[in-house]
This record gives sequence, structure tokens and C-alpha cells, in this order.
Amino acid sequence: MRLSILTIYLKDMKEVLRDRKTLVFMLLLPTLVVPVLMNVMIGFISRVEKKARTETLTYAIFGAEFLPELADAFTEEKGFKKINIPAPDAIESAISEDQIKFGLVIPEAVREQFASGEQVAVRLYYNNASVASRVRDRAGKAIQEVGKQWRSNRLTGLGLDTTEKQESLLNPITIEEHGTANMREVIGERLGGMLPYLFIIFCFLGSMYPAIDIGAGEKERGSLETLLLAPIRRNRVVLGKFFVIFTTGITAALLSLTSIGLMLAVKVKELTGPLGEVIQSISVIDLVLIGAMLIPTAAMFASLLLSISIYAKSFKEASSYCGPLNFLVILPALFGLLPGVELDWIRAMVPITNISLAIKELVKGTMNYHMLAVILGSSFIIAGALLVFCTKWFEREEVLFRE
Amino acid sequence: MIEVMRISKCFRRRKQKGRGLYKKFFGQDRKMFYAVRDVSFRAEAGTILGLLGPNGAGKTTLLRMLSTALKPTAGTASFDGIDIIENPLEVRKRIGFLSDDTGLYGRLTAREMIEYFGKLHGMEHKRLKERVNELFSLLDMTSFADKRNDSLSSGMKQKVSIARTLVHDPEVIIFDEPTTGLDVAAAEAILQFIESCKAEGKTVLFCTHHMHEVDRLCDRVVILHQGHLCFQGSLEEMRSRTGQTHLDKAFLALIDSAEVSHAA
Repeated sequence: MRLSILTIYLKDMKEVLRDRKTLVFMLLLPTLVVPVLMNVMIGFISRVEKKARTETLTYAIFGAEFLPELADAFTEEKGFKKINIPAPDAIESAISEDQIKFGLVIPEAVREQFASGEQVAVRLYYNNASVASRVRDRAGKAIQEVGKQWRSNRLTGLGLDTTEKQESLLNPITIEEHGTANMREVIGERLGGMLPYLFIIFCFLGSMYPAIDIGAGEKERGSLETLLLAPIRRNRVVLGKFFVIFTTGITAALLSLTSIGLMLAVKVKELTGPLGEVIQSISVIDLVLIGAMLIPTAAMFASLLLSISIYAKSFKEASSYCGPLNFLVILPALFGLLPGVELDWIRAMVPITNISLAIKELVKGTMNYHMLAVILGSSFIIAGALLVFCTKWFEREEVLFRE
Repeated sequence: MIEVMRISKCFRRRKQKGRGLYKKFFGQDRKMFYAVRDVSFRAEAGTILGLLGPNGAGKTTLLRMLSTALKPTAGTASFDGIDIIENPLEVRKRIGFLSDDTGLYGRLTAREMIEYFGKLHGMEHKRLKERVNELFSLLDMTSFADKRNDSLSSGMKQKVSIARTLVHDPEVIIFDEPTTGLDVAAAEAILQFIESCKAEGKTVLFCTHHMHEVDRLCDRVVILHQGHLCFQGSLEEMRSRTGQTHLDKAFLALIDSAEVSHAA
């Protein structure tokens, strides 16, 4: 009995491993592509970020004679280069043509306004569509510095001659922050949302092609009917195939876990500061528990995909059914990525979402282990129920011999 | 020996696209229809029984029931006294099924595939190895035994399929249009193989559309039409009942008379 399951498992596994598409989704993509992609992305973002902070910003200024100290501040500050353009009306077109990064317009009556105690407005033009733009921060900082100096002069004139006196007037109440979250929790919140999403998606992708191949593919090629004539019960056939899909799914998920883990372990030497500490604080037990969460996930996917695949008449039909299912998997996994979404007893009952949130909690180091046990237990129950359904489904003649 | 006893198979009709109504089907229930109805016949060991009928007559459904892939709605059949409903696994051990659709695993080699089915039939490792080598030399397959099925010609594939059918040395062999799509040489090899099965005393059920094959091989024939049995007997009886000397014409005459009786 068990021998027939093993025979089917070994044969299907051999066939699956001889299929390039499966190898790409099960082995290559999670092992190589994701860490490489992450590395490239991190490198790219940090380069863009660095460039935005250090690049020389070209600017045009009008009304510099009304406020020479501001004009001088930009001239003296490194990283700014003045460009002459004909009139203030040309600022916007000069920015869009990338002739200048920002334009400043100082009103004529600036000194009079200040002298009479009014607030002074200096107009700053820049392209606010660029996400990585640091123009506002850098130009604004230089303007603020001049403003601070003016404020200080005025407060001194009012008799507040020390910085402490001035500060007590400007900020009579200050907030002394004592955040209770440790750095692992803070960074884990961001990192922990992304990781389960990746693991779940790879688990699904790793299962999908083998499921279609050994279900609908075998039906289409005519070999399923031959297999059904072998003297073995149909539930043994289902179990053999289920274990193959489960193996490929869990392998893909664990490979992505291992490769991302290895990449971070290598990077940790380069990473100084809190991120490095966070990665170092994730223990082997946490990793084992994350792996354990992926077991029922892979089992659920294997049963679902096999049920769909065996219902379809062809590879193409099965692929068209798996597309929307892909979406149904992504959404609950994506839920864990949303800011402010925390694991609670209600979310612990939602399949896939609970796995996603539990992995996030494990990365953050704030897992409630009672809840973890419940999530694992309920996920195994759901996976078992889906497997029973798949077995019953496989025994239906109208499913196997659908015309 | 195969004994088929008043076997029937009923299917739920699928909705007809664009019509929204169940199509009426020769006086039967609108939601259900019989693909095979009340069919009985016998096939003795050491004989070849031809199963004939136009497309849609119910031949494939009947063969699927006999091979235990489908469960009959009514009636039953037995192989050497073993009932297909009560003991389907034992029946499967006794039958070999070969169709035009070779149903090979493309990414396995011929040897891996035959060994796989041998294992599923519970054959012991040593016996299986011996049997595989025996079949490979019998069917002249040694030269491509370790090549992947995907890379084989259709004649070679058909040989792999034959070896798969025979690996467990079945007592009953069912052939479902085995020569469809084959060239003359490959088809001849299949026909010779069927003759050899008969010579070995196996029971053979042979489903085909080619009357020259029936003429050459079959001892008796069973003809299905719209799920019903419309004739069973020897080739001589077929000719004498219709008054036709050519088997093709005799077959068509029997189908025509079945049409008339259905319409009545």
C-alpha cells in the first residue's frame, strides 16, 4: 500500500525534475534570482539616495539683492550652482527642461515686512513629482538656516539673549520620547512583512507547474487513464501526487528562506547599526519555526492545485484556473505587508494571512507562542481537510473523465 | 474469460451551450442519457472478440467499465469469475489495456516506464527485471530501451505501450483502436501481436473501425449502436444475416437496421 504511494511519488518526482520549467520555479528562481534581485534593488536604491543627497543642484535666484544673506548662503554652501535665466516666468520651463533643479523668488519688500513684524514668504519652485528628490530638503535647509538667524536676532532684540531663553519661549513643552519597541521590533515590522510574502509566493509558484504537469498534463497526454488501470486505489495515486507537489512547494519556499538568510548573513558583516543587529538577533529556532509555518502552507497549496489540475482537461485549462488562484494567494499574503496590520486572534483564523503575520511576528521577535500553536494547528487542519477533499474529488468519475 | 451481464452506464447530460435547454436524446430522460444500455456478451479464453460500432456507440464507455476505470450504473461483468464491481483491483491485475493513445511518460525512458508499471502491479524486483529484458528482446526494443519516450518514433512508442500492457503478463487484453494513426508496418506489428496473444490462450477484446482487421483476427463480434447491443455472433453469422459478403457492407446493414428499429 505505502509502496505504491512511494512508487508514484518517485516516478512523478523524477519526471518533474526533468522538466525545465519546474526547475526554474522550484530551484533557480528562489535560490538565485531573488537574492540577486534584492541585492540589485538595495544597491540601486542606495545609489539613487546617495546621488540625490550629494549631487550639485543647479538653481536660479531672483531678488537676491533684497536678501543678500540668503543668496550668499547658497553661494557659500557646497553642492549648489547658480544658473542665470532671463525672468521668474521662465523658472518652471527651466525646471522641466532640467536646466535648473529649483528656482527661488525673493519679494522686493522682504526687509520692510520683516521689520514691521510680518512673516516673510520666499517662493521655492522645484519638481515635486520625483520620489527620490532631495531638492526641497536641501534648499529648504539653507533657507531655514537664514530664517533661524533672523529669529535669533529678533529674540535677542526683545531681551532673550541666551539660546535657552529663546528655546523656552519657542517650545515651552518638549516631548522626551521613550519608545518601548526595541530596534528588532521596529525594523522587523518593515522587513518581516516582505519576507513571508516572498516565501508564500515562492511556495505557490514552486507547486503550480508540477501540479499542472502531473494532473492536467498527465490527463492530456493520456497517461492518467493508463495509471488508473493499475491495481492501486485512487487515493494512493492522489497521495503520491500530493507529496510530489508538496515537496516542490516546500523546497521552493525553504530555498528562498535559505538563500535570503545566507545573503543577509553575508551582508550582516557589511551592515552596521540596527539592521545588522536585527538580522543577528533572528535565531535558528525562529528560522525553524518559520520553516514549520511553511509546511501547512505548502500542503494547502498542493491539495488545492492538484484538485484544480485534475479537474482541468488540459495543461492550458489548468493554467487558466491557476491564474485567479494566484491572485487569491497573493492578497492574503500581501495583507501582512500593510502598515499597522498586527496579528490578533481574529486574523489568526484567516488562512495564509495568519501564516504571513506569524512569520512577521517571528522576525520581529514578538511572537505569542500560544497563538503560533493555534495557527499551526488550524493550518494543519485546513491542509488535512483540503487533502481529504482532493482525494474524494479524484474519485469522482465526472472529474477524471470530464468530456 | 470475460462475461458481461446486462451492463449499463448512465451519464448526466451537460447543458448545451447557447441553447439553455437539455437537448432531447432519442426518447431518453432529458437530464440523463445512457452511453451503454443493458449489454451482455461473453468472450472465451483463446479467442478474439471484436467490439464494433460507429463513433458515439458507447464502445469507449464499455471498455472503461470493463477495465474498472468507470463504475457501471447497472449490471456487471466478470473476468474469470472475478467481479469488476466487487473486486476491481483483482480485475486490474488480470487485464492489459492498449489503445491508440499510447499514454507514455515522455520524460521517462522506455525501461523506466515499463518498470514503473511492473512495480505498480506489485511485481518483485528480480522477476520484474527478467520480465522487462524478456519483453525488450521479444519486441526488439533493446536499442532504444534507455532513450526517453519523447525522442522515440511512433512505431517505437507503440512497442513501449505494448510492453507496458504485457509487463504483468495479463490473462485478458483489451485493445482500443490500437492501429489508429500507425503506418502499415507498425499496424502489422500490432496485428501480429494480437494473433500471438490468441495463440498463447489469452482472452482478447479488440475494438476497431477497420473491417479488414476484424476479418483477419476476430472469431466473434459484438456490435454496439447508440449504447445498445445490436448484434453478436460469428463473422459468418454477420454475413448470412445481412446477405452481404463484404464485412463493411454487412456492418453498415446491421447499423441501418438498428437505426430503423430505434426510430420505430
